[in-house]
Amino acid sequence: MKKVSLSLLPMLLILSLLIVGCSQTGNVNVEPTQPAKVQPEEESSTKHVLLSITWWGSQTRHDYTAKLLEMYSEKYPHVTFESTPSGWDGYFDKMAAQAAGNTMPDIVQMDNLYIATYTKNNAIADLYPFVSNNTLDISDVPESMVKTGEIDGKLTGAVLSVTALTVPYNPDVFAEAGVSEPTPNWTWSEFEEAMLTIKEKTGKYGYASDVLSDTNLLTYWIRQYGKSLYSTDGTQLGYEDDQIFIDYLNMLYRLTKAGAMPTADEWMQIATTGKEARPVVTGDAGAMFEWANFGVIVESVNPDIKLAIPPYADNGKKSLWIKPGMFFSIAESSPNKEEAARFISWFINDIEANKVINAERGIPVASKVKEALKPQLTKQQKAMFEYLDLAAEHAGPVSPPEPAGSAEVTKAMADQINLVLYDKKTPEEAAADFRKAANEILARNAQN
Amino acid sequence: MRLSGHSKKNSKENITGYILILPWLFGFLLLYLVPMFSSVYYSFTNYNLLNEPRFIGLDNYKRMFFNDPTFWKSLGVTIYYVFALVPLRLIFALFIAMLLNTKMKFMGVYRAAYYIPSIVGGSVAVSIVWRQIFGNKGVIMSLLELIGIHQEVSFIGNPSTAIWTIILLGVWQFGSSMLIFLAALKQISESLYESAMIDGANGWQKFTRITLPMLTPIIFFNLVLQTINGFRAFTESFIVTQGGPLDSTLLYVLYLYRRAFTYFDMGYSCALAWVLVGIIALLTLLIFKSQTVWVYYESKEER
Repeated sequence: MKKVSLSLLPMLLILSLLIVGCSQTGNVNVEPTQPAKVQPEEESSTKHVLLSITWWGSQTRHDYTAKLLEMYSEKYPHVTFESTPSGWDGYFDKMAAQAAGNTMPDIVQMDNLYIATYTKNNAIADLYPFVSNNTLDISDVPESMVKTGEIDGKLTGAVLSVTALTVPYNPDVFAEAGVSEPTPNWTWSEFEEAMLTIKEKTGKYGYASDVLSDTNLLTYWIRQYGKSLYSTDGTQLGYEDDQIFIDYLNMLYRLTKAGAMPTADEWMQIATTGKEARPVVTGDAGAMFEWANFGVIVESVNPDIKLAIPPYADNGKKSLWIKPGMFFSIAESSPNKEEAARFISWFINDIEANKVINAERGIPVASKVKEALKPQLTKQQKAMFEYLDLAAEHAGPVSPPEPAGSAEVTKAMADQINLVLYDKKTPEEAAADFRKAANEILARNAQN
Repeated sequence: MRLSGHSKKNSKENITGYILILPWLFGFLLLYLVPMFSSVYYSFTNYNLLNEPRFIGLDNYKRMFFNDPTFWKSLGVTIYYVFALVPLRLIFALFIAMLLNTKMKFMGVYRAAYYIPSIVGGSVAVSIVWRQIFGNKGVIMSLLELIGIHQEVSFIGNPSTAIWTIILLGVWQFGSSMLIFLAALKQISESLYESAMIDGANGWQKFTRITLPMLTPIIFFNLVLQTINGFRAFTESFIVTQGGPLDSTLLYVLYLYRRAFTYFDMGYSCALAWVLVGIIALLTLLIFKSQTVWVYYESKEER
């Protein structure tokens, strides 16, 4: 008997692991607390609806979004949720597989990077019908922001927030190095000098940012010359002069070789921790490049991060742009599009809901919500709101949307930057090779 | 009469058998066979996972061989990986198996303990630990620093050493080969060693003249198995190094995965998969052909 129970032990262990594993995939099946309290004026409330929803984000976002879903189910007891929170890594890999298998969640958090691809392949639904029948209320959202979710005449993304690029910096590190804090009109040469001085005086990184996994900084850099990374039709690069990219590579090279910027090797180790532990936040670096909600994300760890307008090129051209932070899209395969649209509408417009969200996803788009939030803003949220107002003064027109194939172009860019930083290629060779690779990728993807 | 009764009983047993394996059979057909054949079709199409596949003939294969340096790069990396990994893993497995083939206390515990890496080695958790060991400011780097060796770039961050960190992770998963070797070692007749002892053979001679030749069929078996496994490695390069630095650890299957799910290039990815099948088949065939040269079968001797 004793023997039997002993051999059962590992089985039990595995079983319990499995159960834990299952619950971790996050079925926030929020059952209505009082199912009897059905609101009679809701016609559809008799029919029970299960909405699946997925988003990427940090633990903070996962926690309050679960709370939001609970709130919604309390208000509309016929709706329950099945949620799949995720980090950014792998989020879109998984969605591609789900889209192929027609098992996309009803509501998906969507990024500017992918919305064109999903729209062109009819994987996400047009929301205009729900706008016309008043299920999705976007009357309080500025027209220019609504349009960012429109592709080929279809509104496939309901924009949730606006944001802009910024240079978050740690004022303590600047003070320690005796470097004056950035002004809104600083230039790249001032920037570089500041970063190098921080390294020299404190031994810390000047500029600790990820320059490999997205094209944001490069996009900003190219915009300074009145060009864009991609051409309007998305079939080739949008700039002709390779010198633009060469200058960029040279700057990264100088910063890295001086130790003022982490090498790819060092960054890989930094990247294993979350945003809350970035060197700028922990006081191990002066500045970085991020979206404007960065200060809010890390506020609980370091409330003193400040946001600066990114440096200017010598020509002084306004190169920032106000970007849709993220969208909610509805899967074309979803059987509950109408209910999903109603939820999104609530998410965008409901004041109580947005007090819970608390601008963590970026600045809310609905103007009433924005006003309602103002009295309760924390230091960092206030800073973000103020930054966005400032950024609007420094912003130029929006670049063409990211074309299909942009993920592969990003990889091609990272390859060339790495080849330069590892001393395998000169910036001139790398810029030419990047053009060749990117144009090949874009042309191939345009054929689809 | 007796015969037919026998076969009747047999077919009845067969039916029971089929019913019992039905769930597996169902899963096999649905999850393996159907996707396998549809991937043959997809490999001749332009398919991005979301659109309707469009037939483009051999274009994917042409692009692979004539217009995709990354394909050649990842193939080179993978072949290097397999050719370094398989011999090392087999040698290590045989070495441990011989150690465990002696009479010692708690031998059962040791055997189980040495098998554990094979169970956990391919997992994401261990890959992350691996990164903490060999990565920047990791365990190895700190230890080297302690004894006065300063490393500018970690083993994972250096394009010429990164591949060896994942080879090491692969070697560490020697358990299944070890178990097979261990079973085979126990099969070698004690009398062979006794007569060798009488002839005055030393330990090394016994090993090269008796143990190795008697093991060749098992080495052959492990070689085939591990070669195939080596080509299928994925987690190591996906988690530990993310294919970098400079694609120096971009294993074939990782490239295939990225093509399919990150770059929306499913048709091409399917073509990549079938080329890999071809390469593995070819190599396996070569190993089988080489058998006559180096594999010793006792039963053949008697002819």
